This record gives sequence, structure tokens and C-alpha cells, in this order.
Amino acid sequence: MQRIEHSFKAMGGPCRLRLETNEGVDATVAIAAATEEIQRLEHKYSRYLDSSLTSKINRAAGTGTPVSIDDETAGLLNYANTAWRESDGLFDLTSGVLRRAWDFKSGRCPEQSEVVALLPLVGWELVQWDINSVYLPRPRMELDFGGCVKEYAADSAAMQLRRHGVSSALVDLSGDMAAVGTPAGLEGWPVGIRHPEKKDAAIAQVWFPEGGLASSGDYERCLEIDNQRYSHILHPLTGWPTTQGLVAVTVMAQQCLVAGSSATIAMLKPLDEALQWLNELGLPWLAIDGELECHGSLR
Amino acid sequence: MARDDRNPTLLALTSSALLLPVYQGASADAPPEFTEVGVRYSRYKEDDILGRNAFGGGSERYKIDVAQFRMLAPVADDWSFALDVAWEDMSGASPWFVGQVAGQSPKVIMSGASIEDTRTEVSGTTRYYYDRGNAGLSLTYSDENDYESKAIALDGALNSDDGMTTYSAAISTADDHIDPTQGSVPTNTLSATKDVSSAWVGVTRIVSQRALVRFGVSYTYREGFLTDPYKYKDRRPDERKEWTVGAGYRYFFEEQNAAVHIDYRYFNDDWDVQSHTVDVAWYQNFGQDTIVTPFIRYYTQHEAEFFSNLLDEQARYFADDYRLAAFGAFSYGVRLSHELGNWSVNLDAERYRTDESWGVFSGEVSPGLVDFWRYGVGLNYVFR
Repeated sequence: MQRIEHSFKAMGGPCRLRLETNEGVDATVAIAAATEEIQRLEHKYSRYLDSSLTSKINRAAGTGTPVSIDDETAGLLNYANTAWRESDGLFDLTSGVLRRAWDFKSGRCPEQSEVVALLPLVGWELVQWDINSVYLPRPRMELDFGGCVKEYAADSAAMQLRRHGVSSALVDLSGDMAAVGTPAGLEGWPVGIRHPEKKDAAIAQVWFPEGGLASSGDYERCLEIDNQRYSHILHPLTGWPTTQGLVAVTVMAQQCLVAGSSATIAMLKPLDEALQWLNELGLPWLAIDGELECHGSLR
Repeated sequence: MARDDRNPTLLALTSSALLLPVYQGASADAPPEFTEVGVRYSRYKEDDILGRNAFGGGSERYKIDVAQFRMLAPVADDWSFALDVAWEDMSGASPWFVGQVAGQSPKVIMSGASIEDTRTEVSGTTRYYYDRGNAGLSLTYSDENDYESKAIALDGALNSDDGMTTYSAAISTADDHIDPTQGSVPTNTLSATKDVSSAWVGVTRIVSQRALVRFGVSYTYREGFLTDPYKYKDRRPDERKEWTVGAGYRYFFEEQNAAVHIDYRYFNDDWDVQSHTVDVAWYQNFGQDTIVTPFIRYYTQHEAEFFSNLLDEQARYFADDYRLAAFGAFSYGVRLSHELGNWSVNLDAERYRTDESWGVFSGEVSPGLVDFWRYGVGLNYVFR
């Protein structure tokens, strides 16, 4: 058996592939296929690339011309629609436009008027889509697949590894993970859950068996003003971050995609509602509240 | 398989995710995880033939008691093996020939003395599961007093890249040997053989989150002694070519937690037999563990070109067998399955009724048309 690790940067963060391969499996081919898959999705869905489908959809906003889409994009929109419906509107691919008011690097809190001005551009229910096309009816509206594409890419990369005969591997796209099998002799992949306040320290360790694992938290890209933490996850109805909610949450599911949207939805709910929702969902989870207390079935 | 006792939100998210092409590959065909064994008892019982349709008055017809054993086990990571054994005990009388008294309608003459026979069938199937499908090879041996059959079958399924389409194909061939039991009625042969070869191709496509369509065609070639050895003057061609075309639709109703299955099949052969079959079944789930399935089937058949109630000695071929007559049939019933931990129990009952006036094809009315009951009980255990 051979252990291989491959690190690279993609989708705005550090990525890592860990493989345990048996003889007869060409690990380099499998790694190439997995990284290519991640790059393919980044090129297709990144809102930072002018050539991406996302940019094309956003440029067409309000022009009257819908943009043609393929099965994969229709599948993602359908998934986003389900997540939007199941979260009563909290999971919303159009909420990315709120970042125009929230500059997390500047350390400045926006004026309420700036936020309110953007709210008419937020609302999944406005998006006109079907299996062949998508159209944003108001100029300056934006779709942002950031809320699901990294998770989806982790699953897709894991699928590429499986297709190339890999039976044990971990795909880690800056915290969004997909596992193929388990490491030899272990019940799962050991995953450290990051401490919200101490960089590079773990607050807990969990065993991650086959499937998907995603975390959402305030540790990165958050804003702290007058001792109030502002999460980078913005509420689509108010345009403001949820301040009375969880600080971080980790969810495991069969698919990293499902784990990721479940974590995002939990982060947008007030603390008690979030804990109840996670409990009822029935997936393994670990949540950290503002007092740095851990909750959940993964403790 | 893990049972689905998940929360509705999770179910909605998961099923939407699974529609994405990438996860379709994830549901790669996998061999059974655990060994399963099952036993089943069923009875097939034909209604008595009515006095007005038989010379010599009403009489009992055929009855078959069937006991089955099945074992399915994973062999290695991607192999499984299944063993099926069935014992049948057959008894009763069947129509020997049709006669007619001037001025009266035709009636059957029954074989009289009760036929008694037992049949044992053993079948072994090994199946290999690969990334995008599975393939199976099965060998079957069946033996009864007057009949011996050896069959081999090969089948395979391939899922498309997006996992939404499955292509399937199967071929089989059987080598049968007939040695009619002498005694109760004079037989048409002392010893004969026949070969049956068959091929099938089909495609199944998931058309939406809740709907699935399937389509299939098959061809069967029979050659050898196709005559019924126990039917008086029965003479059939020694070749029969059969074609079928079938289509099906499944739709899951989320609110009702139920699915409807609608299937249609057209059959045609070079004996001029044609038939249409329509099946409708309602799979009603109650919670996670119980499924109740009422079903109804309609069948209508065109008679074989050489079917006749009256014997024509000059004709090259002749059969007065009701199974080759024109008729229509309805069968209806209910199946129940319930899981209890590692156990599951299955119950089913079916009523089958024929009538010449229910058919869409006209033809000579056979006095031998049969009605029957079929019911069974099965028990399965999974070693988890």
C-alpha cells in the first residue's frame, strides 16, 4: 500500500488530496482526474472569472435574454431550489450580491441604507429557471454558486478517484471534504475541527467515515466591530449576518453538498432554532456556540 | 440497505442532490451486503370445470402446491451467489380433448384419472457487479416424472454515464426432454425433445425525480416437439417464433407515499397468436416497513391459426387447447409485505378469471377456459 498526498490551491483556498492506493492503481492518473475535475468546476462556476457560466448568467441579468444551461447546472439549480424551500428562504443563491455592502476586509460596518438598497436584488423566488435555461429578471442581480459548488466539487473529485479505482481517499477543499472509504485499519478519517478563536488549534476531533463533511463558521472572513462578531454568512431577508447564532458548525452526510447546505442553513438560524433543526435533521453534527460550548451528536 | 427513516428535509435535500449527474455514478451497482434466506409456500388452484362445459359432468381441475427456498449471499466484494430450489406437487385433471354432440355446444372430455406429478427445480445464479452495472450467469435444472429441462441464461445491465439510463440484455437457452407418463391417457409421443432460445433487450430511463419509463423487446425461438403429449390429436408445428414489445411507467406520489406502476405488453408469434396485456399496480407504503399492493391485469388473446374445437383429420396442424383460443382475462389481487427487524413476511392472493366475451379478438369459444386462485406466503431473513 502506498500513501500519497497532493496539495494545491483552488476555489479560493488550500486543497488537499490524500490517497491510500493498492498496487495496480495509478495514483497519478487518479489525482490528475480529480484535480482537473475541481478546476473544471471552478472555471465553470467561479464568479471571479469573466469566462465562467456564472459571469455569463450575471451579465445577462435584466437584459431579457435567458442563458442556456446544461444538465449539471440545472441539477445544481434544482438542488438550490430544494435547499431554499426546505430552509424557508435562508439558503439563497442570489444573496451573494449583499457583499457589495459588506466588505469584510475593511473592518467597516455598512450603513443600513446601503444594505436596504441591495435587498430588492436578493430573492431566489425571482429567478426564472428550468432545465434548459436560467434568467435573472432584475439588472445587477447575481447568482453565486459559492454556496454549493465547493462542496459539489469535493463530491465530484471523490467520484473521479473512485472511477480510477481508488478505494481509500480524502478530498479536502479548505474544509469541505469528501471521503472514499476509510484509511487502512481505521474507522474513519481523523478530522480536526478548528477552534473558532485559536488559529491552527483544534477544538475537537471527529472520525469521518465515507461520505461528505462540511463546516461553516465565523473564523474566516468575519468582521469584529465593538466586540460584536459579524459572520460572513449574510441573511437573505435582512441583509445582515445572524449575530445570535452559532459560531461554527460541522455536518456529515452522504454527500458533501448536503452537509454543506445543512451547515449553512444552521448558521443562519438563531441558536436554539439551529440546534433543534440540526437535531431533527438526523445527520451527525457538531456545533459551537458563542460561549465556545460544543453541541451535537459528534461530541 | 439502510432503511429510510430520515427526516423529510434531509430526504428532500438528498433526493435533489442525487439527481445531479455526478451522484448517479455513486449509486454503482453493489452486491448484497448480507446473506438472505427465504422460504415460500404457494398454491395454484383451478376452479372446477362446470357441468355444461364437460362431458361426464363437472370435475375438479389442476392444482399445484409449490414450496420454494432461496438463498442470496455476497461472495466477494463484487460477486454474489443465489441458490433457488422449488418443489412442486401437481395433481388433478386437465382437458383431454373437445367433442361436440350434434345440436349442442362443444364440451371437453377431461383426462379422468388424476394426474400426479412432482417437479424439482434447482437454479444457481452468480452475479458480478461492476462500476456501472452487473452481469449474471444462471444454470437451471428441472426434473419431473415426464419432463427434464436444462437451461442456461446470461444477463447484463449497463448504466449510462449520468446514471439516468440503464440498458439491459439477456439471452437464454433451454434443452428439454419429454417422456410422457403412460397410463392415464394415450400420449402423442413416447419420447421427444425441444429447444427454446430467447433474447431480450431493454432500456430504463429515470425521467424525473419521481418518474421512470422502461421499454423492452424480446424474441423467443422454440424448436422440436411443441405438441402437448397429453392432448388427443394435438399436432402443432415444430417451430414457433415469438416477439414481444413492452413498455412501463412508474410514478411516485410523494404526498400519498405511494407509487403507481403501469405496464403494457404486446405479444405476437408465427402461429397467429397475438395478445395484449395491461398491468396496473398501486404500491402503497405505510410507514417504512409495510407495503400493500393491489393490482389488476387485463389480458386478451387472438387464437392460433390451427385452433379449433372440431377435429379436422385432414389439417396438418390441430389444437383444441383452450390456451390457444381467443379469450379475455382479468386477474386482480393484493400483495402485502411487512418488515420486522431482520425478518420480512410476504402474503399475496390473486384471482384470475377468463371469458371469451372479454376479449377484443373474436374466435371459436373454447369450453375449456380456466379460472383460478393463486395465493402464497413467504418469509425472509437477513443475517445482519
